[in-house]
Amino acid sequence: MKALFPRAGFAAGALLLFAAPFLTANPFYQRVAALTLLAAISASAWNVIGGYAGQVSFGHSVYFGIGAYAALLAYAKLGWPPIAGLPFGIVASFALSIVVGLPSFRLRGHYFSMATIAIAALAGILVTNWDFVGGAIGVMGPARARSFADLLFRSSLPYYAIFLCVLAILLLFTRLLQKSRMGFYLRAIGSDERVAQSLGVPVRRYKLYALLISGAFTSIAGTLYAVMVGFVDPNSGFGILISVNMVVMAALGGAGTLFGPLIGAAILVPLGEATNALWGARGIAYVAYGVIIMLLARFSPGGLAELGRFIVKGWRRRAA
Amino acid sequence: MSPILLRVSGLAVRYGDLLGVGEVSLEVFEGNAVALLGANGAGKTTTLKAIAGLEKASAGEIEFAGERIDGKPAYAIVGRGIALSPEGWRLFVQQTVEQNLRLGATALRERARLGELLDRVFALFPQLGQRRRQRAGTLSGGERQMLALGRALMSDPKLLMLDEPSLGLAPAVVDSLYETLARLRASGLTLLLAEQSLELALEIADTAFVLETGRTVLSGPAREIAERPELARAYLGAAL
Repeated sequence: MKALFPRAGFAAGALLLFAAPFLTANPFYQRVAALTLLAAISASAWNVIGGYAGQVSFGHSVYFGIGAYAALLAYAKLGWPPIAGLPFGIVASFALSIVVGLPSFRLRGHYFSMATIAIAALAGILVTNWDFVGGAIGVMGPARARSFADLLFRSSLPYYAIFLCVLAILLLFTRLLQKSRMGFYLRAIGSDERVAQSLGVPVRRYKLYALLISGAFTSIAGTLYAVMVGFVDPNSGFGILISVNMVVMAALGGAGTLFGPLIGAAILVPLGEATNALWGARGIAYVAYGVIIMLLARFSPGGLAELGRFIVKGWRRRAA
Repeated sequence: MSPILLRVSGLAVRYGDLLGVGEVSLEVFEGNAVALLGANGAGKTTTLKAIAGLEKASAGEIEFAGERIDGKPAYAIVGRGIALSPEGWRLFVQQTVEQNLRLGATALRERARLGELLDRVFALFPQLGQRRRQRAGTLSGGERQMLALGRALMSDPKLLMLDEPSLGLAPAVVDSLYETLARLRASGLTLLLAEQSLELALEIADTAFVLETGRTVLSGPAREIAERPELARAYLGAAL
């Protein structure tokens, strides 16, 4: 186990994650805790392609929306429990990755990012004008639980438990990826794509693998969101802010690090919920986002992870 | 005479409407060191990239060891035995020396040979062996050049292409670099190097090809090329 997860800090962090929602009986805090984990799943999924492989996607809401719609359409059209839509979301995400990834990976850097924005915007317009999937109105989940499989709970704690399991699986998977040859190639692509290519890394193939993994986990996050909230419309499924959230959380914690996206989510989700609760206005959190992005770009482009390493190094130097 | 390892004929590379190179032709014999000369913007880098499969040839043929390789993906070309050490080294500065070297062996088919190739690089550059767990970003200029060269050698190439290997290095470091290249050549490796410094290039090269605005304008044995007035023209423009 030590080889997989070094450092004692990990044990402390894991313990805190397990205990966090039980520290309070307040349903609001419990809900914030659950939403934090959900955001951490999305941001960690984004991290595979955006962090490790350095392909900054601003269109990951597409995958989130696919997962969310798959869940609620499985209920609305087939009468299945929403969670049964999960495999459909994953399959659809694979199909999208292949159709979209192959041509857009010919683009590099900013051009790739812009293409992903365009794709997400297109998907949003498509869904808004497609009556079969509810058009602009959206799709509802079951109003009350028909069976346990509907996963409808009044408390946020069961959702917290589910999200924690999925996040643990995703992070374990990412850790294994980090240690694998593929992770090695992805980081090489992320730091200098042309050189990686010239050394013989099949760049486009590995970028596609990363997108397949990243998209599938993002769609799982969308499905889980739909299961918990029981409603999705074009904006809450495909809105650009969903993509921006993933990018900013990963960047704040440290893109391309294992726990960076989780740390980013643990800061930004409570911040957003607190500003909403205090001032009611939906916009304040995004003002804070703007400030955070500027501070990051100026002082610590590698996110808090880089800042942390820098501080630890300073301590060691002083101790020596 | 030894067989031709690489033959480029009538190569053209376009970037949209822009012409990268127009008509480059060159031949590299096995075991030789060949210099690709020319002023900045003459098309040396583009030519090397096209050979490596990093740029698509819009016309012409590239033949390596008797087989057409133009149009093949870069990883297939490295796998056949052509390595490119890019201008400015372009190391993975966040990764360790050893990780950089291992990335160089990406295209290696027999993974079992990895250890042997690592040892060969460390024998060539003992300094890299001492720093194998150090991040590439912490190396000095000379060590970076060694690492870039070592990384290119890790794919066990038959042909090593170097783009401006001496750029930005201290004179003493350049001397030792060229000693190393001479040693590699003596061990049977074929070299193709793009170099702005005429003196250095002609010192090691058997033959030279001179490019001017994307065309091969002059070729021949390196010693004779050095005497030709056209060489100065290619570097300094038509006025001379």
